[in-house]
Amino acid sequence: MPTKIYTHLLKIICLCLLYTQAQAAETIIQKNDASGLLTWTSKDDGFSIELIQLNPDFVRAVYAKHDFPADEVERIAGYCVFGSIIQNTSQQQLSYRVADWRYVDKNGKSYPVKTKAQWLEEWRKVGIPFAWTLLPESGDFGIGDWQQGFTTIQIDRNEKFDFIYTWTLDGKKHQGRIDNMSCAPAAL
Amino acid sequence: MPFKFIAIILGCLLMFSAQAAERQQPKLGYQLTALPEPATAPGFSLEDIDGKKFSLKDYRGKVVLLNFWATWCPPCRREMPSMERLHQKFKNRDFVVLALNQMEDGDQVFTFVGDLGVDLTFPILFDKDSSVSRAYGVMGLPTTYLIDKKGNVRFRAIGGREFDHPEVEKQILQLMQE
Repeated sequence: MPTKIYTHLLKIICLCLLYTQAQAAETIIQKNDASGLLTWTSKDDGFSIELIQLNPDFVRAVYAKHDFPADEVERIAGYCVFGSIIQNTSQQQLSYRVADWRYVDKNGKSYPVKTKAQWLEEWRKVGIPFAWTLLPESGDFGIGDWQQGFTTIQIDRNEKFDFIYTWTLDGKKHQGRIDNMSCAPAAL
Repeated sequence: MPFKFIAIILGCLLMFSAQAAERQQPKLGYQLTALPEPATAPGFSLEDIDGKKFSLKDYRGKVVLLNFWATWCPPCRREMPSMERLHQKFKNRDFVVLALNQMEDGDQVFTFVGDLGVDLTFPILFDKDSSVSRAYGVMGLPTTYLIDKKGNVRFRAIGGREFDHPEVEKQILQLMQE
């Protein structure tokens, strides 16, 4: 009898461990009950990324608060904007370059993610000195380092897309993918 | 023997609880990254909310915790109380906290400090055009540097931290003793 119990318990423990392993590369989607907005979180190989849908009115409010001209506020709000949090969860140096990140539309066509440097260059040309809020275009993260900022995708708001991101850990390039992402609705 | 199994099951349950907790906001860590080679800290002279000038060179001989922040930045808000506690603990020693606000004005900072619920008694300086942050190569906020008594940048932290963590305090004390 005790042997049978131990066998069952061992099975449970094995299932626990398998569940933990499967979670390592899993994307978790959470819905904000109040706003209905979605958050995708993916943790894998020393790097975690969280992408939070931001509705256009929120984006408008952020840039209007920083005294952006109205037409520029509208232009930014026309993008599919996500709050993004990236984190070095390893015990080594890690680096990333947004210029290497891509999104893939429903037809399988891949596009580069617009970088902060590209945005700042556009803002500079129209006389906007502001240089913050966007996810930095690259980073060399030590242990415990993390960063947050906006990530912008130029796609029809109603279209689904896949998001592909990369990072380098201990000299080795890694790639992650979040499928079937969507923009925040135009209005809540 | 059954106790071992119960312990393992409890371990599994704790593991799941920890994973659930990790899905919340990122925890503020305490690790600072040592720069491979100390680099001379770029000098600056900036004003506080009252127009009083502060220059980095005035703090030669002290360890400086130099924090780049803004009121709209959530982790900046989260780490501020720990910076104040650190300041209170070491303010009578060779240590100073300087918080460089990015591209905001006195009204915005005044409102922020009022809402924070913690009196910030270390100098808050205005880097109005972010020229100092550019000189330090700051990519995002918050970013914090530890500068030694000779004016060299020794440690860096990207993202929020609990600055009064014993490990951070240990690094500051080591720099103070050099």
